[in-house]
Amino acid sequence: MTEALLTTTVGSFPKPDYLQRARNQRARGKLSVSELRDLERRATEEWIRAQEEIGLDILVDGEQYRGDMVEYFAEHLEGFRIGGLVRSYGNRYYHKPIIAGKVRRPKPLTIDWFRYAQSLTDKPVKGMLTGPYTMLDWSYNEAYPTRRDACLALAEVVAQEARDLEQAGARYIQIDEPAIHARPEELDIAIEAMHIVTDGLKAKTISHICYGDFAAIYPKVLELPVDQLDLAMANYGYRYLALFDRDPFTRELAIGIVDVHRHETESVGEAAEGIRKGLRYVTPERLLPHPDCGLKTRTVDEAKEKCRVVVDATRVVRAELGAKARR
Amino acid sequence: MAITTTVIGAYPKIGDELPLQALRRALHERDRGGIDDAALDAEFDTGTERAVREMDEAGVDVLNHGCIRWDDLFSSFVRAWRNVSREALERWFDNNTYFRVPVVSGALEVRAPATVREYEVARRTTKRRVKGALCGPFTFARLSEDRHYRDRSALALAVATALRAEVDALGAAGCDLVDIEEPALARWPEDLRSGAVRRVYDVLAQGSRVGIALQLSMFPADAAIEHVAQLPVAQIGVDVRSRPTRVLERISLERQTLVLGVVDARNTKLESPDEIARLVETAARRVDISRLWLAPTTSLEYLPHDIARAKLRVLAEGARTALAAGGAR
Repeated sequence: MTEALLTTTVGSFPKPDYLQRARNQRARGKLSVSELRDLERRATEEWIRAQEEIGLDILVDGEQYRGDMVEYFAEHLEGFRIGGLVRSYGNRYYHKPIIAGKVRRPKPLTIDWFRYAQSLTDKPVKGMLTGPYTMLDWSYNEAYPTRRDACLALAEVVAQEARDLEQAGARYIQIDEPAIHARPEELDIAIEAMHIVTDGLKAKTISHICYGDFAAIYPKVLELPVDQLDLAMANYGYRYLALFDRDPFTRELAIGIVDVHRHETESVGEAAEGIRKGLRYVTPERLLPHPDCGLKTRTVDEAKEKCRVVVDATRVVRAELGAKARR
Repeated sequence: MAITTTVIGAYPKIGDELPLQALRRALHERDRGGIDDAALDAEFDTGTERAVREMDEAGVDVLNHGCIRWDDLFSSFVRAWRNVSREALERWFDNNTYFRVPVVSGALEVRAPATVREYEVARRTTKRRVKGALCGPFTFARLSEDRHYRDRSALALAVATALRAEVDALGAAGCDLVDIEEPALARWPEDLRSGAVRRVYDVLAQGSRVGIALQLSMFPADAAIEHVAQLPVAQIGVDVRSRPTRVLERISLERQTLVLGVVDARNTKLESPDEIARLVETAARRVDISRLWLAPTTSLEYLPHDIARAKLRVLAEGARTALAAGGAR
């Protein structure tokens, strides 16, 4: 029987100070690639241990080797050029890539990291990829005549990576599409691209969606060919759950129960209430509590605290469900 | 005669080179308690001066202050008004940029001018004409959470009333033109069919010596354009570059200036002067060339700093090429 309310996270964790310093040193040419890799591996192991200690069920590698979820892939794919800094919000900036030529994957991008992270734990580790539509939308397209052309080309390289992850033993493959609601009129393109990525995969497939007008793409987004949709909800006061009253939710639901863009963390009681709200729409076996989004913008302590609240809240609700089952 | 060039909205706050990242470092320092608000204010002023100098050097005729102090289109106003706060993070339309949703919990009241300081910094940095920049009342009403008015038109009217105080304060500081950024009116043109639009823009413009430039950025203005010509605004800005649009076939302006968004502020690919000249030629068939201004399609802050500067140079060169080509030829 499938376990109830498996807990997980969306993908990224903050980089510890020593790794952040090392990345800065590397950018200035004062640290070798191999020295940086050693520190990235150390940080990855620390996050695997932290997730185990907190009691999360499905783990992530924490993306200690990535700067940004699109930039990392752009750095390693042919056809991309890394552009200058662009602000995303507040005082946060990222290097927005430029699609400057035909996109090609010269070699696997995440497989070694997945293998390494999985070797550190008996719990399942998710393979983490950025979806083709988001890669397109968060890049400047100078090369392809249409956005659809660029998106489908990107889908081919993401598909190669997904197949390699599966071959490497990934039981869960997450293909994030946080930009999927950027242009609701292009949802068909995102779905077409995701078919290229997930068709034929046996691993459980997941797509994370956050920070946008989810109502504008629902229920059509249920056609996205993945097993599980992973949605930010706490940031929105769970208002998007009301959409499921009219059009039932038909996938597994990974539900965000703590806001990741605030320093403060919700109480266990508040987070547990978020899980109970989700249980009105899917069964416990199909509901996975987690933080709203990746935690890389928080401090290490804040990120751990938010994960702890997710796990503690889940234990509260599991106990309630157990008590109900015994009655 | 020349074709006037201008900018819209925010300019990149930092660049990739270390000296261009002073503001970013100052914000980090302030978060850590390393500097006080006065020191941060001084850094904002320095950033504003740099942005204005760069626009000036690129040859832009009518500048703004670059919105260097703004986190998003609403932040400066929310901080300057009572009974509204900045809450959940939300994506800015179809862009990988985010804003804090304004939550309106009571009747809006103005505490202090929001943008006069940055306008004055810009004014003393350049000899060129400087315009103000304000958020649009309908965009504010569409994207905020209204727990008080419970009616979008009523909220838009309240925002316009608060913004009118800002227009007057800018006017007193010497400003004679302000941009009102209304991407929501391009995104949801049905809002233009309500009678509220005329009332809202009357509040902003009636009896004022400050001209209003309505900027319909971010989306094609095809469905909006026929409704805005009758508004009491001096200028109307439309994007004719970043997406397919037939707005230039539909536009008919008796008196207003048309601000043509001719360089794409959301793509790094640089336009050629000839491409800009062709857009001007098309527009000049509908609006006399003396009433055409050229601009980026929206805020240049969506581009890296070096590309934003290159886009401004292209804009100025495109204006010269278009003029040499004779506009309507």
